[in-house]
Amino acid sequence: MTDGLPVVPPTRERVARAVEACGRAADELIALVPPNFGRATVEKIAINAVMAGCRPDYLPVVIAAVEAVCDERFDLHGVSATTNSTAQLIVVNGPVREALEINCGANLFGPGWRANATIGRALRLVCVNLGGAVPGVVSMSTFAHPGRYTYCIGEWEAQNPWESLAVEHGFAPTDSTVALLAADAPITVYDQRSRTAADLCATLAGTLAVIEHHKMTHWGDTLLVLSPAHAATIAGDGWSKADVRRFLFERLQWPVRELVPGVNGGDGLPDHVLRKFADPAHDATLVPKFRAPEHIKLVVAGGTAGRFSAVVPGWTFSKGSNLVFRRIR
Amino acid sequence: MTDDYLDPTDSVAVPRKTAPRPASLDGKVVTLLDISKAKGDHLLDRVEELLRERTGVRTIVRKKKPTFARPAPDALRAEIVGATDVLVEGLAD
Repeated sequence: MTDGLPVVPPTRERVARAVEACGRAADELIALVPPNFGRATVEKIAINAVMAGCRPDYLPVVIAAVEAVCDERFDLHGVSATTNSTAQLIVVNGPVREALEINCGANLFGPGWRANATIGRALRLVCVNLGGAVPGVVSMSTFAHPGRYTYCIGEWEAQNPWESLAVEHGFAPTDSTVALLAADAPITVYDQRSRTAADLCATLAGTLAVIEHHKMTHWGDTLLVLSPAHAATIAGDGWSKADVRRFLFERLQWPVRELVPGVNGGDGLPDHVLRKFADPAHDATLVPKFRAPEHIKLVVAGGTAGRFSAVVPGWTFSKGSNLVFRRIR
Repeated sequence: MTDDYLDPTDSVAVPRKTAPRPASLDGKVVTLLDISKAKGDHLLDRVEELLRERTGVRTIVRKKKPTFARPAPDALRAEIVGATDVLVEGLAD
């Protein structure tokens, strides 16, 4: 199976070159890929990477991404089978970004860089060919989104006024890592006029509020991609990442009475949550959009021109997918 | 020339088969599995009613997954496999 686009024929020679470049044995088992649990050996991953158009030196990144999505916490079974639209987003940190020319700047989610285009595509082909996520057969997403062709970005660490996503999660700045998020399509947030952290974060909260639907609560890992200009405005006010998260978390809470199904929309708090309140229709208890501030993940990337950010919603529900890291070997 | 191209799929994977279907539900234990999607229980309530009306099932057992977002936990699967003849799963949406 392919994604519908032509592929590079996986000849023995091309595959051997990719395997050799990563320095690992062809038959080393990296993971079993849900939901069909196909065996992702180094060679099988290399075959899919060649088909996707990867250069041989991209293979370690693809292998790390496969390891990450096959981690139980990522819930690839759910991601591949859901009727929702989610796709596997790869966020790359560390020196490998320069070495492989992974785009972190202008046109971040768009075309133009071979590494971004083919690493994301290779992961997707692995999920189809080894995991069985065949569209219309196992993958029954109502809409899916274009990120299922490829979805791979780098963080622009040099433009980041804070520590990087990977460092924040315990890696060294010299480590190269991937972070995998089950992710909806990015939603661009336009704010040209805010010049304070509080003003700008209020705008960002407005977009985060409508993830999944405007009354969805208990949400988990979600990515907020700040452009360099927006990050500079926020950091210029002395705000840390933790300050941003706390502001957003506290602002994104609503009283139970506004979240009842049938009030401003037929969906709302699920029955098992409503049962906790004696009179939900009049209850003022605040329920947060996110389960904890830490679920709002911040990265800095995108072009230096333009005061935009992007919200990339996760696919989390209360027990679904989590952001998963792997070091690139 | 086909040998020159390598297979991107897992060629050792065993094809999955559906379980054999019983000819009749008479005397069978039927498990109805709710996957925790909103209103899935409504559908399964009606299925239970119809099974009781129209078939000679021995027992109907109701089970529930903790979340629709993940596969059923191993313990729940083992519990169902060991104790039921027929499983009806209320799938999503």
